[in-house]
Amino acid sequence: MRHRRSRWTAIAAAVTALTLTATACGADEPADSGGPVTLTMSAWSMKTTPEFAKLAEAFQAQHPDVKVEFKEYDATNYDTQLTADLAAGSAPDLYVLKNLKNFITYQAGDQLLDVSDVAGGLGDKVNGLGNYKVDGTTYAVPYRQDSWYLYYNKDLFAAAGVTPPDKTWTWAEYEQAVAALTTGLKTAGSPAKAAYQHVWQSTVQGLALAQTSGADLVSGDYGYLAPYYRRALQQQEAGAQVDYGTATTNTLQYQAQFGTQQAATMLMGSWYVATLIAQQKKGDAQSFQWGFAPAPQADAATKDNPVTFGDPTGLGVNAAIDEGKVAAAKKFLTFVAGEGGATALASIGITPATLTDPVTKAYFGVQGVPTDELSRFSFTTHDTRAENPVSPHTAALQNILQETHSAIMSKSTPVDEALSQAGNRARTEVLESR
Amino acid sequence: MSTTTVGGPRGPGPRSTDPRGSGSRDPGSRGTGANRTKRWYKARRSLQGVSFVLPNFLGFGLLTLGPVVALFYISFTNWNVFGTAKWVGLDNFTRLLKDASFHTALLNTLYYSAFHIPLTLALSLGLALLLNRKLRGVAFFRTAAFFPYVTSIVAIAIAWNLLFSRDAGPINQILGLFGVDDPPGWTASSDWAMPAVIVVGVWREMGYYMLLFLAGLQTVPPELHEAARIDGAGAWQRFRNVTLPCLRPTTFFVTVMLTIGSFKVFDLILVMTNGGPGQSTLVLSQYIYQKGLVENRFGYASAISVVLFALCMAVTVVQFAINRRRNA
Amino acid sequence: MAAPHALPDLAAPGTVDRGRGPVAPSDRRLPAPGKVLGYLVLVVAAAALLLPFFWMISSSLKTANTVFSVPVTWLPESPQWGNYAEIWRISDMLGWLKNTVFLSVVVTVLQLFTGSFAAYGFAKARFPGRNLLFVVYIGTIAVPWQAYMIPQFIMMSEVGLTNTLWAVVALQAFGAFGVFLMRQYYLTIPDELCEAARVDGLSEYGIYFRIMLPLSVPALASLALLTFVTTWNDYLGPLIYLRDPDLWTIQLGLKSFVSEYNAEHALIMTGSVLSVLPVAVVFLLGQKYFVEGVATSGLKG
Repeated sequence: MRHRRSRWTAIAAAVTALTLTATACGADEPADSGGPVTLTMSAWSMKTTPEFAKLAEAFQAQHPDVKVEFKEYDATNYDTQLTADLAAGSAPDLYVLKNLKNFITYQAGDQLLDVSDVAGGLGDKVNGLGNYKVDGTTYAVPYRQDSWYLYYNKDLFAAAGVTPPDKTWTWAEYEQAVAALTTGLKTAGSPAKAAYQHVWQSTVQGLALAQTSGADLVSGDYGYLAPYYRRALQQQEAGAQVDYGTATTNTLQYQAQFGTQQAATMLMGSWYVATLIAQQKKGDAQSFQWGFAPAPQADAATKDNPVTFGDPTGLGVNAAIDEGKVAAAKKFLTFVAGEGGATALASIGITPATLTDPVTKAYFGVQGVPTDELSRFSFTTHDTRAENPVSPHTAALQNILQETHSAIMSKSTPVDEALSQAGNRARTEVLESR
Repeated sequence: MSTTTVGGPRGPGPRSTDPRGSGSRDPGSRGTGANRTKRWYKARRSLQGVSFVLPNFLGFGLLTLGPVVALFYISFTNWNVFGTAKWVGLDNFTRLLKDASFHTALLNTLYYSAFHIPLTLALSLGLALLLNRKLRGVAFFRTAAFFPYVTSIVAIAIAWNLLFSRDAGPINQILGLFGVDDPPGWTASSDWAMPAVIVVGVWREMGYYMLLFLAGLQTVPPELHEAARIDGAGAWQRFRNVTLPCLRPTTFFVTVMLTIGSFKVFDLILVMTNGGPGQSTLVLSQYIYQKGLVENRFGYASAISVVLFALCMAVTVVQFAINRRRNA
Repeated sequence: MAAPHALPDLAAPGTVDRGRGPVAPSDRRLPAPGKVLGYLVLVVAAAALLLPFFWMISSSLKTANTVFSVPVTWLPESPQWGNYAEIWRISDMLGWLKNTVFLSVVVTVLQLFTGSFAAYGFAKARFPGRNLLFVVYIGTIAVPWQAYMIPQFIMMSEVGLTNTLWAVVALQAFGAFGVFLMRQYYLTIPDELCEAARVDGLSEYGIYFRIMLPLSVPALASLALLTFVTTWNDYLGPLIYLRDPDLWTIQLGLKSFVSEYNAEHALIMTGSVLSVLPVAVVFLLGQKYFVEGVATSGLKG
C-alpha cells in the first residue's frame, strides 16, 4: 500500500505542478517593428455582428500596414472560452470586454496591458472610459456604449388615444400613461398590452441603481430597489404588462413582443434599434411607426440630461502580447474609441462610445432609424451610469440580486423581505467573507 | 479496499474474485519448482491483466485523472485561473460551513435526488421489462422512450415550461378537469419548481437507464423463468426470484450512475429554471459553476466539488456494501 | 499454462450452453383485451414522450417571432417549409454534421474498444491494485467536469491539442463510464466459462476476443448507443475546446445562432430537428441488438 500511495502522490504533484506553473505566454511570433503587423482580436457571431469587421475595415483603410485578424468565440459563453484561452496562453492580442462585470477579473489577473497613454489621448468625448480605470491606471477603452431607452409604438399610442412620451417623462407620468394605454387599447379592441417588461434583472435593477441617489451596489443595502419592484408588480397586477411567470414559462422574446405589436412601450437597450430595423426589413417584425424616448426619470430635476444605465463594451490589450505589436495595438485602440471608429459603428446602427456631431449624423443616416426630434435627443443626450460598477464583488452581488429578482417577480417572496435577505446574503457571503 | 467482488448471479461456485482462487486451482502447487511456476504464473497473469487496462488507462490517467487530482489540490488554494494558486489550507472548507447558499444548494440537491433516483429506477426498469418483449412495433416504442434523451435539452426546457405554464398550460388545464381550483405555478413558483424539475428529469432520463436495463435483461436465462413457471411461480415471484437476482450487476451499475448523475444534475436545471425562482432549485453543480466559471473563484468551486465528490463516494460505497452483502 | 483440471459440465467453449433456449417470455400470450389496453397505454406514453419533439417540429415551421406566444400554438398557421432550405443556405450545417459524425464515430469506437478491454481486466483478470484503481475510475465520475475543465484545458494546451477535433476525442474516448458498464456485464458471465477456455488453451486475449466480446453484444450495443448520443449532443466539451468555425459540431453551430441581440428561434428548431434525425436512425438500427438470444447466437457464431 505504501509505495502505491507514494506513487500517486508523485503523480499528483507532477500534474499539479504542470497545471499550475503553466502560465500564459502569447503567440511567439518574432516581431519586426518596421514591417507589416498582424493583430489578432476576439469576436463573436461574426455573421450577425458586423461591428468587428467594420472596425477592422475602417482602421485598415487608414493603416494599411496593420492587419487585424479575428478569432471567433461563442457569443453566450464568450467569457468562459476567453478565460480558458488566457489561462492557457492562447488568447488573441486584443480582446473585447463584452461586459463590465468580468473586466475586473482580467484586470486583477494581470491579463490586461496598461493603456493609460491611449486613454489620455482620447479627450473627454468618450462615454464610459472611466469605468476601465483602476487605481489611476486605465486598462481598456470603450468602443460602444449602449444605453437604455423607452421604446414606444406610435401607432398603438394613436389607437389608444394617449399622448406619446416627451423628453421630460417622470415615472409618475409614465404610470399614468400606462394606465391610460391599458384602458385605451382595450377600448380600441387591441390585444396589445401597455408595456412589456423583459425577465432580466436589468429591467428593474439597472434604472433603480442609476437613478436613486446614494444607491450603491457594494453597500449591501438594497432598499433602493423597493419602489421599482413595487411599480413592476403593480403593473403586473393591473394587467398593464404580461406577468413574469407567463414571460418565463412561455420563454417570451422581447423582440417578438415589441416587434409584433404585443406591447406599446418597452424599456430596452439601444442595441435593439438595429435589431428592430433588420427585423422589420426581413418581415419578422411588423411594420409600424416607432421611436425611442429617454427612460422615465425619478423627478423633473434630470430632464435636461436624463439618467439611464448601460455598460460599455471595451477593448483591451492582452498582457502577453508580443512587444513589437504593442504600438500597432494601441493605434487600433485609439481608433476604435475615437471618432473614426465611432462613425464607422454608427453607420451600421450601433451606438458608439464617442458621440460627436459627425457620429450622430452617420447614425441617423442609417435607413430605418427613427429621425424624430425625441429619438435624436435620446441618442445624443443622456447620463449613462454603469449597470455593473467595477468592483471585485460585482459578479457575486449581481448573482444574489438575480436570485432576488426571480423571487420577487414570481411573487415567491414579498419585496421588503426579499431585499433584506439579499442584503444579509451580500454581507455574509460576499462583502465580509473575503 | 476490496469492494469490487460483485459476483455473478450464479450463487456459490468458484469465483475468480477470490484472492486465493488461482493458487488453489493450480494443481502443480507442490514443492519449490512448483512454487516458482506459481509465481511466474501469477506474475504473467498480473501482466496480462495490466495489459488489458493499460490502453484505456493511458488516456484516462492523463486526461481525466490528472486534472481531477489537480482539482483536489486547487481546493486547498485560492486560484483565480490566472497566475499561481495560493495555498490556504482548509479555508475554503471552513467557509463552506458558514455559506448559507451552499447549504441551500446541498439540501436542494438531496431533495432532487431523493425523488429522482427511486422514480427513475422504477420507471426505467418497468419500461425495460415492458419493451423486452417481442411486441409489434417495439422498435418504435423503444425509440420513443429514448427520444427525450436525444431531443435538444433547450427544446425540452422550452416545451416543458410551456406545459407547466400556470394559466394556459395543458398540465394545469388537466388538473382543472379534476377539480383542482388553485393549480400550482410549477416552474414559476418557488414551492413547485423542484417537483416540476424532478418530473422532467425522470421523464428525460428513464429511457437512458431503460437501455442499460434492456442490455442487462439479455443476461437473464429464459430457462430459469421456465423452471420457475413449472414450479408454479407467479409473475411477481418470477420477477423477484429470477429477474431481479440476475439483473443485480446491472441494477448496481444503474443505481451508482443514477446516484452520481442526480447529485451532479446541472444542465437540465440550468435551462429549466436557472436555479430559480429565488434559490428554490439551486443545486450543487450549478453553485460550482457560478463560483468557478462566473466568479472565477476556482479554489472555492473546487472545494465544493470535493464535497460533492465525497457525497457521491459515500453513497456509492454504501451501495457497494449492500450489493456485496446481497451477493454473499 | 493450461493445467489439466476438471470442471464439471464445462468442457469447451463451443459446447458451453448457458441454457439459452429459443423460449422467450414473449411467448406468453396476453389476453386480447389486455393486449389492446397495453398498446393503448404504450401509445399514450409514446405521445407524452414525443410531445416536446413535436413542439420542436411545429416551431421549426414558424417564423422567428411567432415561436413564442401566449397562448401556445401547437400547429403553425402557415407552415414555413422554407426554413428547411434556409438553414442549409445560411449555416454550415454540412460542415457541422461532418465534424459531429467524425467525433461520434471515433469516440464510440475508441470507447467501445478501450472500455471493454479494460473492463475485462477489471472483471476477469487479476493484478495488484486492481480494486483500488477501479474505485479511482468510479471516483472520477463523481467529480463535476465544470470544476476541472480549466486545469484540463491548460494541460491539453500544453500538448497542443486544443482547437482540434482530436481534443474532443481525447476528452471523451477514455471515460470511466464504458469501463464500469462493461465490467458489470462481464461479471454476469460465469467464471467457469473463462476457466474452461483457459483449460482449452485459449490465452486471456483469446478469451476476450472469442468469448467475451460475442457474449456482450447487448452491453456493447447500449454502450455504443449511449456514447454516440452523448457525443452527438455534447455542447460544453466542444465549446471549451473548439474555436475555429470549421471545427464546430452541430450543437455548437446551432447555439451560435442565438447571438445576444438576435434570435432566429424557428431556424434553431429547424436545425435541432435535423440534428436529431441521424441519432434516431442510429438508435433504430442499434436497438435491435436488445433481443433475447443474441448472446447465445453470438457464442455459436
